[in-house]
This record gives sequence, C-alpha cells and structure tokens, in this order.
Amino acid sequence: MLAACGSNTGRGGNGQALRQWYHAYGEPGVQQAVERYAKSYPKTPVDVQWNPGDYDSKLATSLLSDGGPDVFESTLQISSVRSGQVVPLDDVFGDARSDFSEPILATHTVDGKVYGVPQAVDMQMLFYRKSMFAQAGVQPPSTVDELIDAARRLTRDGVKGLFAGNDGGGGVLAGPALWSAGLDYVRDHQVGFDDPVAAQAIGKLRELYTSDSLLLGAVKDWAEPDAFTQGLVAMQWTGLWAVPAVQKALGDDFGVLPFPKLTSAGSPSVPVGAFGAMVNAKSKRIDEAKEFVRWLWIERTDYQEDFNLGYGFHIPPRKSISAKASKLTSGAAADAVKFVRDNAKASNPPDWTSVMRTAFNDAVSRVVRDGARADEELRGAAAKVRDELKRLYG
Amino acid sequence: MKAVRYLALSVAAVVFLIPFYLVLRNGLASEQEITAPSWTFWPRSIRWENFALLFSDPAVPLVRSMVNSLVVAVLQTVGQLLLCGLAGYGLARIPYRYANVVLYLVVATLMIPAAVTFVPTFVVVSSLGWVSDLRGLVIPGLFSGFTTFLFRQYFLGFPRELEEAARIDGLGHWGTYWRIVVPNSRGFFAALGVIAFVTSWNQFLWPLVIAQDQDAWTVQVALSTFLTAQSINVSQLFLAAAVSIAPLVVVFVGMQRFLVRGVTETGIKG
Amino acid sequence: MRNGRAFWLFVGPFAIGLLVFVYVPIVWSLLLSFFDARNTVTPTSFVGLRNYADMLTDKPFLSSLGTFSVFAAFIVPLTFVLALALALLVNQISFMQAFFRSVFFLPTACSYVVASLVWKLSIFNGVRFGLANTVLAWFGAEPIAWTVSTSPPWYWLVLVTLRLWLQLGFYMILFIAGLQRIPHHLYEAAWIDGASRGWQTLRHITLPQLQTTSVAVVLLLLVAAYQAFDEFYNVLGTDRGYPPFARPPLIYLYYTALGSGGQDFGHGSAGAVILTLLIAGVTLLQGRVITR
Repeated sequence: MLAACGSNTGRGGNGQALRQWYHAYGEPGVQQAVERYAKSYPKTPVDVQWNPGDYDSKLATSLLSDGGPDVFESTLQISSVRSGQVVPLDDVFGDARSDFSEPILATHTVDGKVYGVPQAVDMQMLFYRKSMFAQAGVQPPSTVDELIDAARRLTRDGVKGLFAGNDGGGGVLAGPALWSAGLDYVRDHQVGFDDPVAAQAIGKLRELYTSDSLLLGAVKDWAEPDAFTQGLVAMQWTGLWAVPAVQKALGDDFGVLPFPKLTSAGSPSVPVGAFGAMVNAKSKRIDEAKEFVRWLWIERTDYQEDFNLGYGFHIPPRKSISAKASKLTSGAAADAVKFVRDNAKASNPPDWTSVMRTAFNDAVSRVVRDGARADEELRGAAAKVRDELKRLYG
Repeated sequence: MKAVRYLALSVAAVVFLIPFYLVLRNGLASEQEITAPSWTFWPRSIRWENFALLFSDPAVPLVRSMVNSLVVAVLQTVGQLLLCGLAGYGLARIPYRYANVVLYLVVATLMIPAAVTFVPTFVVVSSLGWVSDLRGLVIPGLFSGFTTFLFRQYFLGFPRELEEAARIDGLGHWGTYWRIVVPNSRGFFAALGVIAFVTSWNQFLWPLVIAQDQDAWTVQVALSTFLTAQSINVSQLFLAAAVSIAPLVVVFVGMQRFLVRGVTETGIKG
Repeated sequence: MRNGRAFWLFVGPFAIGLLVFVYVPIVWSLLLSFFDARNTVTPTSFVGLRNYADMLTDKPFLSSLGTFSVFAAFIVPLTFVLALALALLVNQISFMQAFFRSVFFLPTACSYVVASLVWKLSIFNGVRFGLANTVLAWFGAEPIAWTVSTSPPWYWLVLVTLRLWLQLGFYMILFIAGLQRIPHHLYEAAWIDGASRGWQTLRHITLPQLQTTSVAVVLLLLVAAYQAFDEFYNVLGTDRGYPPFARPPLIYLYYTALGSGGQDFGHGSAGAVILTLLIAGVTLLQGRVITR
C-alpha cells in the first residue's frame, strides 16, 4: 500500500529527480502551484515534497543525513553556514541582485555571502477596527503609551482591546518593543539591548499585560485573524497574509499600523522575514540544484508573482515585481508595502541564534507574565547573548 | 453502600466520557457554533457534510494515512510479539552465562528517553535508505525493551510442569515454546498486542520525520497538518481526531477483557 | 554450549535489532556529548567534559529538572491514589463491571495529540465559549486564560488533568489485576477475626498484598513523568518557541538539539546523559526504599 516502497522518490543516484522541499503553506492552491512550477522545468525532473508539521526539526534532522533534499526553503541561520550545510548562491543572482529588496537580502546574508534566494516576503503589523475606534473616540496610536491607552479604552462589553498572541504579547511584540526604543536584538556583532532603556521598553509589555485589556487563550493564535474578524477584539497583531480574510469579513472597516515608537530615539516598526530557496551542501548535484533555483526564483519572474499574489498575500521580494503588482497598490496592502519600505526590521536575523532567542524570550516572558524585574532579567539575557556572540565572532 | 459506589462510578464515568463527547460535538458542528458565546449541548443541525469535506480534502490524505497507520501498527504488533516474545522466553528460561548481561542491557533501555537518541537513530535509518519507506516506519520500533521485559516477567511465572511434560515428549526449547508455551499464553499475547498496537498507532514524532513523502504519512502526521495549517478549520480538526481514534476504540472495547486477564498473568515485579 | 546456541536462537534476532537501532544511537549520543557538535552528528572538535559543565550550570536546564520534580510530585501520587480508588470500586461491583472498566480504560486509546487538542482548544481555551469558562460563567465568574496565566499557574491544572485522563485507566487495570491475585481466604480469615470490611481490610490485607503492583506502578509513573513531552509540547508550545515555565527536561533538550535553528547536539546529548543518570538513580533508589 505504501508507494514509498517504490522507487520514484529519487534519493541518491544520478539521472533521477532533484528533491525540493517546502513547508506546508496554509493557503489552498500553493502546493499545486509549486508542483506545477517544478513540472515545467525543462532540464531535470524535480520532485516536490510538501512537509506539514514541525518543518524546522524535520529539515534539521534530514540535513544531517544523506537523505535530505537538494533544494529547500528556509530562513538563514549562521550555524548552518558555519557548519557548511548550505552553499553560497551569489553567482546565481547575476544582474538581478540589485532588484531584490536590500533588507530582505540581508536576512539571507552571512559574512558578505548570500545563501538563500528570497521567495516571498512576510510581514506583521497591527490591525485595528475603525468603527470601534470611532465609537470609543480613540485615535489610531502613534506611540506605545497611546497604544496601551487605546487598548484600555477599547475594552468593554466583552470586547478586549488587543490580541497579540495567546502568550500575552511577550512573543511577537518583544522585537517591536526593542525597536520602539531604538534598540535591536544584535547590532554589529554586539548585544543590541544592553541598555537601561530596554527594561523600560519591555516594561511596557508588562503594563499592557496587566492592563486587563488583552485577549488571552483564544482558540486560534495571533497568526490567524479570527479573534479580530469575530469582533472579540478591537485590535490584533497579525500578518499581511491575513488581509484577504479580514477584508472579506469586515470590508473597509479596518486599518493597519506599524508597531508605534516609544521614545524619540526609536521608530515605528514592522517585523519582516522571507523564506529563501537554499541548496543543500550534501547534495550530490549542487550545480544542477543551483541552476534550478536560478531558473525558478530569478529567471521566472512570472512564477514569483504568481507564488506571492496568486494564493495568499505576500510581497514579492523583487522591487520590479512588487511595484507593478496591482493588488498591492491600494488599501491595507499598499500601507503594508510602505511600512516594509520605511520601517522594516528583520524578525529573525541570521546571527540571532536559538540560544540567544531562548535566553531573550525567557527573560521577556518572565517580565511580562510573572512580573520579574526587567533590568535584572535582561541583563542575564544580555550576558548569555554576549557569550554566544563571542563564540561566533571571537 | 452499594448505591454510593455506583453513584461515584457513574459520576467518574461521565467525566471520563466528556472529552469524547467534545470531539464528536465539535466535529459535527459548524465553526460558528463552536465559537458561539452560548454553549449548545449538541449541534443544532448536525453537519454530516463535514465527513465528506474531511475525506475529500486533497491536502490531507486521511484515508491513505489511516491505511498506512493500520499496516504499520499490524506489522509492528506482530513483529514485536514475535521478536520480544522469543527474547523474553530465552531470557527467562534458557540458562546461559551471559543471559544476565543481556537482561541488564534490555532493562537499561527503559530509562533512556527515545527523544534523546532520536537524531542518531534517524541517521542510522537514513543511511540504510529507509526514509519514507515502510521498513523505516516499522523496523526501528520493533525492538522494545519494555515488551521484552514484560514477556520475561511473565514467562518466569509460567508453570514449569507444562514445559517439563513437553520435554519428556522430546521437544526442545523451540518446540516447547511454539507448541506449549505460546498456545497457553494467548491472553497475555493479546494483552501486549493491544498495547503495542495502540502505541504504534499513536506515535507521532518518528513518523513525522521518517515518513517524508505524503504517500507514507500516518494518521497522526495527517492530523498534525490540520493542527499546523496556517488556517485551521476547528471542526474539521475535531472530526479528524474522531476518525483517528475510532478504530482504536473498537479494538479496545473488543479486547479489553483479554487485557485484564493478560495483565493478571504477568506478575509484574518492580 | 548447546544452551548458548538455543539462547541466541531465541534472543539473537531481538539482540541484533536492539544493537543496531537502540545501542548504536545511544553510544553515538554518548560520543556526541564530548564534542562541539553544532549542526553535525559527525563532529571533529573534542571538548572533553565542557558540555557537561555547561549543562550543569545552565539555569534553564536545572530549572527544567525542577519542573519535572513539581510535575512528578503532583502526577505520581494523584494517579496512584485515583487509579487504586477506581480499581477498588470497579472490583467490588458485579453489575456493569465490564462497562465501567471499559469507560475508564477508553482514554488510553487516545494519543496525546488528540487529548491536547481537546484540552487546549475545547475545554481550557481562554475565551468565553470554552467548556471550563462556560461552567465558570454559570456561577458568575470571569473567564480564565488557563494556559496563559502564570499567577496562579492554572496551566498545571490543564496538564495534570490531561495526563490523568489519559493514563488513569491503564494503571487502574494494573491494580485490578493485582487485586484479583489476592487470595480470597485472606479476607475471610480477617473477617472471622472481626476486622471490618472497609478501612481495616484495606490497610492490613489489600495494600500489603498489592506491594509488587504498587512498586511497578510507581516506577512506571516516575519514568513516564520524567519523559513527559507530548502534551507539554502540544499544549504550551507555540510557533514562537516554548515558554520558560512548565518546561520539562525533554522539552528543553528537544529545543536545544532539534528546535528551530537549535541543532546543538553536544549540549543536547550531555543533558540527555545527565537526565538518564538521574532517572536511573531515582529508579534504583525508589525500588530500594519501597521494597525494603
């Protein structure tokens, strides 16, 4: 019954299909689309594999063995570069390099070399319900304090002010909170939040959490707009991908905002990230794999447009494509494109390793949910991040 | 006194059945009804079409994955009973210089969490070329120290008189095992078989990583696609859960009395 | 010599598989724990005991061991007492005995994935329409964010009830089996001596006679609690990682060695060895204390 016992999986030997991996996109049609792209590649047969579930762990495990894919999508981690798991792709870009959005390309660059060809840009932002704001006489917030105030005033009659994840905002809003105060995760190989202002910025998340205006424990988490579209909240932190669903449910009754600034040194921000196509260094057919990546994500601009805008809602990483996409010229989508141009921050930079992330997230979670002292917790996290940076850069 | 007992048991039984009720209720309701502010005990209109939607979703091959789970679970159950039964008998009944060493090695594996050796196991299996392959799904799970240990404990308590009678009839260890011991231990084999089947059906992390092609997914992997898809449909999720546990509930209700008898016969010792 | 051949005829196939699929990975893990093994399982940079030193001074890892202790402190005695109570009740009735036994045993058929789904999305979700919050609302109480709130730590209620539901039936069966092995004449003798049918026979006959079963149950419960992973991962884990509370050791090691971008097999394996030694230690100690 298991066709897997058969032979069409193309593992190992020459003359067989290249293996390409995607994680499971939620939007209907994407799987069929990428299979169609692969099928139309004239030079080599390509087997597309769709991976539901914990993609990161599955990919990590497979890259250690010889059974992994030739081409896969992922965000870039410095550890995979240092351990030689991925191949530099500078030469596949050619003239097109300058057409890729610079901050996006930076998330796929380590030590000056590019390891991934960005496929689709995702970004997060704040959605708000215009009618609820008007009813409560609240203006769209432009500072963190205004945001907290707005959340408080919009909380009434079983409606909460803001939904920013079932963990109370400590997860998705920690980065924006740093940026709001002009800080960062890591900056020039140094700890980016080793500053007394950081405690103030994260303290604001605690203030939000204890203000009794957050929705907590919703059925679907922040990545889906259900709490917002069902009218459980007046504001929700979610992503560009939610725009079609929100539009369908609420029509014009919503607007979008970046995370506001806290201090004059800080700025509004939207976290951005992009999956990039990468080539497995263990592949026996690196050149063929690179050629396929070049063909699919650089030569076939029509596919890039289809992939980004045909199913869900992403921003094409190439400026020439995003500029002419009609879907992105009006309403919330146009705002999002503007935010990405002016306020983009890498949601997961390559040298923000999992050790650093765990240390930082733990600290933030303890501050926000347990009311631990922000300065002490962040100092502890900074020390850990410093150790890790020292290991990476000496 | 009797009434109190039945009352206590009935209350407990209701509590135990609530999650099953929830799975069915949510699976057959519309999404709006699940998230409605006022609780409805049973969906106002049962949405049987949820079944059709579930089984026709091309992104989640539920039927295929259930067949795969069934094949894997049956093979693993049979394989475990065969291999671990033999090993358990050998350890319990055949005096041998190094038997204790082997026994310690078997027991030691009980204390080592599988998640810990997960990555090296994957590398071993993948170097055998068993990724997305029935062999990779079934074979590594056959060598259960736990099952072997339970078999040994059980065979230690197996009446020696029966075996000695067989010995007099000229049977060796092999003949004794197959002609006398196994036929007289059916209940115990059934009990461990049920446990092995359930464990196999419910395992998740290993099939997730090893069954990479969609054609090789087991039902738990298919279930997780509903969980992790960017836009989850809650009622489909619950209905899928209901479908995934239905075969086990049938097996359980049918096999349950063997299980009690089987465990009674183990003489589990600490 | 003939015994040797017979022994390996029986044990050999199993032993070979055990060697290849269990012991090779174990030894491999052990080796990895002495290397700097980031993103590789064939490392070259030997670091001696440094990974161990790191893990033993790593606060999150140590606190995850603490988490286990808290969890075990709840789940082991609770499961033990409740499973025994169910077993005694079921064993004392005759009418509908099989029915009740089946009902309590049925949850064993569910996977942790399914149970987590029900607990997280249906019973203990934090909004108004969750079952628990609906019940609270009948009494006029405000909804509670069960899996989010850390003060009070309601998530323990979620995790402990989930595991209880899943495993009580199995341990109940073990106890029923133990009860059925107690020779009936012991009770008759006690009744003749004037012991009452309730508490006295329980204390002086039932419990002592259940000693071997009890030892096995506590042992299995402890090992299972140490290896807790599935329901924690599915109930509290998010796409942003795992919160710093209620983090059992296996979850922490999983994120160290396999989580997104983690892949630090040196530290992961060292932690695993420490955990294994701990399990072995507690198991031996427990066995000794109870059987004394």
